[in-house]
Amino acid sequence: MADAVAESSHGHDKHVFHHFVDAHQQFDASKMGMWIFLATEILFFGGLFAAYIIFRSWYPQTFVEASDSLNRAIGGINTVVLIISSLTMALAIHYIQRNDKGKTILFLGCTWVLAATFMVIKGFEWSEHFSEGMYAGKAYAYTGVTASHAYIFYSLYYLMTGLHGIHVLVGMGLITWLMIKTKRGQFSSDYFTPVEITGLYWHLVDIIWIFLLPLFYIVA
Amino acid sequence: MEAQGHHITSVKTLLTVATALIILTIITVIFGYLNFPPPYNVIAAIGIAVVKASLVAMFFMNLYWDKKFNALILVISIIFLSALVGITMLDTMFRHAIIPTFTAG
Repeated sequence: MADAVAESSHGHDKHVFHHFVDAHQQFDASKMGMWIFLATEILFFGGLFAAYIIFRSWYPQTFVEASDSLNRAIGGINTVVLIISSLTMALAIHYIQRNDKGKTILFLGCTWVLAATFMVIKGFEWSEHFSEGMYAGKAYAYTGVTASHAYIFYSLYYLMTGLHGIHVLVGMGLITWLMIKTKRGQFSSDYFTPVEITGLYWHLVDIIWIFLLPLFYIVA
Repeated sequence: MEAQGHHITSVKTLLTVATALIILTIITVIFGYLNFPPPYNVIAAIGIAVVKASLVAMFFMNLYWDKKFNALILVISIIFLSALVGITMLDTMFRHAIIPTFTAG
């Protein structure tokens, strides 16, 4: 792996705030800050995961039946779309570290397009649910599940995939911002902290979906 | 390398990890159609998800090469999440009536 290790350059301090010793310390501090934010994100989603676990333990039969009403293949395809978007995000970071701005913009663009693909698939999926009366809470009108309290499953499904979807949209906004800044030449192998930490955010969004897939689509 | 430069993950490593993640996703979906009896279906699906999440965290999120402190933050958040779920379930699992208003259906 020796060839995969780059030397960061010292002495280019135009991005370094004076309260940091050097660019490295600043980079590490930013990254640690992002990890702390991600910890709060895990606990933010954690409340909903806890709700899922508790309601599932109360109404196991409902969750099994309701989960069968979701299309596993579509869930799987959307997972693959998000995994490839994580790959392209990691490649964008790889190329900015190698100072290749053209490929960085290319792979950020791929990530954006894949994120949009995910949202479009999700949109079609939701509108199909709505046409069958699978609404959340009291509006629930689907008759395909015989077990009681099925509306709880769909409420959790919309809340969790919806909150995840909002995160995808935020990520798309951040990626657009990264592409503009890269295009303007504001990132290089000397300074790419925003690309790196947006990447961390994007991968966490991927990880959350990795858990949503089995919980809603598979475990029936 | 930790003190002097950033670790640049090779394209080959990234492609290998992505391929593994896609294969594991396909296995998850196939398992879903096979309908293993509970609790094995849950264990298999969640187990694979944990492996996938670990791969993403270690290689895409760089924790494998990174300062261990960042991994520690992740581990601590998972411990607190387990506390949230575990302590809540100590209540919800041991009730005579789940929630009175819910029993009506």
